[in-house]
Amino acid sequence: MFLLYEYDIFWTFLIISNAILILAFLIFGVLVPIRKGPKKLSSYESGIEPMGDACLQFRIRYYMFALVFIVFDVETVFLYPWAMSFNVLGVPVFIEAFIFVLILIVGSFYAWRKGALEWS
Amino acid sequence: MDLPGPIHDFLLVFLGSGLILGGLGVVLLTNPIYSTFSLGLVLVCISLFYILSNSHFVVAAQLLIYVGAINVVILFAVMFINGSEYYKDFNLLTIGMALLRWFVQIIWTTRSNQIIEQDLISNSQQIGIHLATDFFLPFEFISIILLVALIGAIAVARQ
Repeated sequence: MFLLYEYDIFWTFLIISNAILILAFLIFGVLVPIRKGPKKLSSYESGIEPMGDACLQFRIRYYMFALVFIVFDVETVFLYPWAMSFNVLGVPVFIEAFIFVLILIVGSFYAWRKGALEWS
Repeated sequence: MDLPGPIHDFLLVFLGSGLILGGLGVVLLTNPIYSTFSLGLVLVCISLFYILSNSHFVVAAQLLIYVGAINVVILFAVMFINGSEYYKDFNLLTIGMALLRWFVQIIWTTRSNQIIEQDLISNSQQIGIHLATDFFLPFEFISIILLVALIGAIAVARQ
């Protein structure tokens, strides 16, 4: 390709996978018959008549999980360059990364005990 | 190696226009959830800008953290707002402020292009080596900061 030569295979994969999706939607958009009716336009609720409102109240549990996820995602971003340079560095660096992960495991134990990971 | 001239310019214009459209979308859309998705577009464009500076690790890190974590948390915080409380008007003052900021930003941040050579060791490896040898004490302190942030956030959110 003409951009970022070492990612050639990646661009090919991206373009082909997107082209398959777009082609599928175009073909089915042309071939599918469209018939509107009152029953077809109502929302789906596993075959029964829909009851109640479609929007539920947002629960705090989702937010707790996103919070814990952020902290461990930042930790993972720090582990990526360590993993890339692992074979040129020695054992002391392994010990340092072990200490890093250990301190964050303490954090995950705290989150577990305080009920931040409860779903029900 | 540096990107060839026309591709560099094309990427710059494409991402810049995406950034501006996304920014206008964040400010002008009335539904706050649409605003949050527009913010996601802005963060993606910002992260792709780092391709022009030949720092691919920063692209990945920005996508992971900003779009993947921070935008999701903002979306969850916005989901607490009720549907009936959305802002219905189309405020002209916000358009004026957005355009003014756009012009100032264009004028003050145009820089000349720099030539960067490619090393034997890739970017991420160099970052890893420096992180583990020169900066290993800040590395450990970062883990303590993350621990404190986690404990603080859970302690506040539990109430």
